[in-house]
Amino acid sequence: MKPTPEIPADWLAEFEAASRRTLEQRMKYAFIHTYKPVMDDAKYRAFDTMADYRKWCEENLPSWLGYGRV
Amino acid sequence: MAAFEYRQAEEIRDAFARNGVRYLFIGKSGAILLGFPDTTQDADLFIEKSPNNARSLISSLGELGFKLTEAQAREIERGKDFVQLKDGPFDLDLVFAPDGIERFEDAWRRHVNVEGFPVCHPDDIIASKISANRAKDREGLPRLQAFREYWLKNRGT
Repeated sequence: MKPTPEIPADWLAEFEAASRRTLEQRMKYAFIHTYKPVMDDAKYRAFDTMADYRKWCEENLPSWLGYGRV
Repeated sequence: MAAFEYRQAEEIRDAFARNGVRYLFIGKSGAILLGFPDTTQDADLFIEKSPNNARSLISSLGELGFKLTEAQAREIERGKDFVQLKDGPFDLDLVFAPDGIERFEDAWRRHVNVEGFPVCHPDDIIASKISANRAKDREGLPRLQAFREYWLKNRGT
């Protein structure tokens, strides 16, 4: 496959490399764990609506985590 | 807490199948199952919102080692849109009403089976990220949309 305006060459190379890996390998490289302040400080949270969850994120999480709406 | 592993995804798949849970992998974890090369921290599952499915889900979570209190289990059964579990063998986000997707049934009709894992179609993953409109999603969206083009061309779907 050749690069297209929608799929630049560098991304295409990454997609093709990933397609040659097994699912198990892809998952091994993809899932990471780093501590997220506030977010990781409770063992359980539940929200009645997604709007409630989004609002909680905006009001409680550090903005640099990126959970705020643009 | 260690990172989510393939083996744990298999455990979810098997426990949910035993209990008949209707669910789909969604979000970046879903995209990764489809082949998108990127990183993420949590597994996100889109769970059909119904009392029966919630009861099956609660049984499955118990089998997987998540220790829900009775109050938490009742809460999930009554119906929540979003539940975050960080007290089990891995972190899990349970989404019952993802932004940008009207009904579970619609997403189920379009879903993709990846080695036995039910995964949202890339269009639904992208729709939910566009609709959520978070800074962290906005940043990665062009690359995810490029992956969608690649995926469609190579899967013929």
